[in-house]
Amino acid sequence: MRTFFILFTKELRSFLLSPLAYVLIALFTLLNGWLFVSIVKAMQLQVSSQSLIHNLFASGWFWMGFFVLFPLITMRLFAEERKMGTIEGLLTAPVRTSEVVLAKYFATIVVYAIIVAPVFFFFPLFEFITGEQGAFSSGAFWGSMLGIFLIGVFNIAIGTLASALTTNQLIAAMLTFVLVMLHYFLGFLQNFGTAPDSIWADGLTYFSTTEHMNSLTEGLIDSRPIVYYISFSVVLIALTHHVLESRKWRV
Amino acid sequence: MIEAKELTKRYAGRTAVDGISFDVAQGEIVGFLGPNGAGKSTTLRILTCFLSASEGSAKVAGFDIYEDSIEVRKRIGYMPENVPLYPDMRVIEYLKFRAQIKGLRYREAKWAVEEAMDICSLTEVNKKIISTLSKGYKQRVGLADALVNKPELLILDEPTNGLDPNQIRQSRELIKRLGERHTILISTHILSEVEMTCNRVIILDRGKIKASDTPQNLIRRLRQPGAVLLEIKGKTDQAVKKVQSIEGVKEVTKNEQRNGWLSLSIVTDPNIDIREEIFDLTLKEKWKVRELASRTASLEDAFVDLVQSGAVATASETGTSEKEAADA
Repeated sequence: MRTFFILFTKELRSFLLSPLAYVLIALFTLLNGWLFVSIVKAMQLQVSSQSLIHNLFASGWFWMGFFVLFPLITMRLFAEERKMGTIEGLLTAPVRTSEVVLAKYFATIVVYAIIVAPVFFFFPLFEFITGEQGAFSSGAFWGSMLGIFLIGVFNIAIGTLASALTTNQLIAAMLTFVLVMLHYFLGFLQNFGTAPDSIWADGLTYFSTTEHMNSLTEGLIDSRPIVYYISFSVVLIALTHHVLESRKWRV
Repeated sequence: MIEAKELTKRYAGRTAVDGISFDVAQGEIVGFLGPNGAGKSTTLRILTCFLSASEGSAKVAGFDIYEDSIEVRKRIGYMPENVPLYPDMRVIEYLKFRAQIKGLRYREAKWAVEEAMDICSLTEVNKKIISTLSKGYKQRVGLADALVNKPELLILDEPTNGLDPNQIRQSRELIKRLGERHTILISTHILSEVEMTCNRVIILDRGKIKASDTPQNLIRRLRQPGAVLLEIKGKTDQAVKKVQSIEGVKEVTKNEQRNGWLSLSIVTDPNIDIREEIFDLTLKEKWKVRELASRTASLEDAFVDLVQSGAVATASETGTSEKEAADA
């Protein structure tokens, strides 16, 4: 556990001492700030049956910026260490591979949380400035936060695996982006070519990020997406561990 | 300290290390010598538990490298080839991090880092960012990292690679000094290095051990016929004949004559010194002598000899295996 914390601190430090983290925080906040203002303006012009939170997270603009985050924050995790050769020093120190993987994974989750956190300040800030009550429910607020956290945890696991598969950061980034997008589009497949009540359409809703967010931003906290994202993340992180250990397989 | 038995490492279609066995006793400084691609780094990576062997086993300080990998790694200080470091960390930060993941507590780590920086003369650059350091300093940071937790065994992969002659001399002296406290296994393709620092040399070529001995014994065993160079002036018409008549002389060749000076290359039986007899001869013949020198074969010669003879053997081996493949 001590080793985990040393590695975790080192990862977090190297993230927070690099300019990348600050550029991402600034750009992500700027993009979503602009989006937030636009949605508020649009809701002034036209009455919406949905809350501010729901409208923000249902907007395609939000997801566009959102999915670009994952390749950027995960690509260097293992690819860089493998390219520079520092992985050799790291894994010949008396540390378990699992400690290395988990330290990197959790450090990235913390960084991710720091990057997306400003978006969740917008809503209380809006209430504070306008004095407008009930623009959203607290259920929707905490629900959407949970949703964004879970989706992040899952997508970071995808990125961690992709980074362990290659020594090239660019390839790791592209692989992450494609896998993240493919998973996202899986949820849209139900809209194409399948009868609305078929078993396929039904099954695919379980994978649909959009569906998950729709229910969570209405304050409906369902246990299914929680189990779904956490269990798949565990599988992906276990795979990452195996990829790194594969160099020691006796073949 | 190390007992390796029949270590073999196969990569897809290629055998990098081919059934090598060797022992390293406590307190020894052993040099792994071999041309590039001989399997030195692969062997070191197996011993440090970075890779696993396809076959065979090894024990470090009594622990199996496969079963007790963590215990083995606690006892090894390893400096990989080309000394990979985190470029954006400060020297002291990096060493503290390394000391801590090697199991030292915060306070112990602080002292251990001070000491390691002192041994490797890094104290004046301790606050510098690693990417701004020169190659020589980076090498020393790597070395400080390897010895920070006072491991019983140091494994250094080409520790002087890419340094300038002055730095090479310094790092050799450092390694020799470290040999008083640690068992050391170094790999290199530079011969003079093992000749100067190691108690024992293991010569590796194409994944096989070709020789394992002290540098001195190796030179003696592999010494080529001795050669003496003689340059004389005077009545030298009969010189070749007269030199040839000395016992132990195998061959005398005349080199070019310059300004009346005759230069002779004399080949003798191995391990015979005929310089005294030659001196007596020159007195008797009243020759003037400008040069009388013996040229002993260096480890370099022994090494080239060994590897080249090995090359012939391997070439014929692959020839037959190709034939067998064709037959099948």
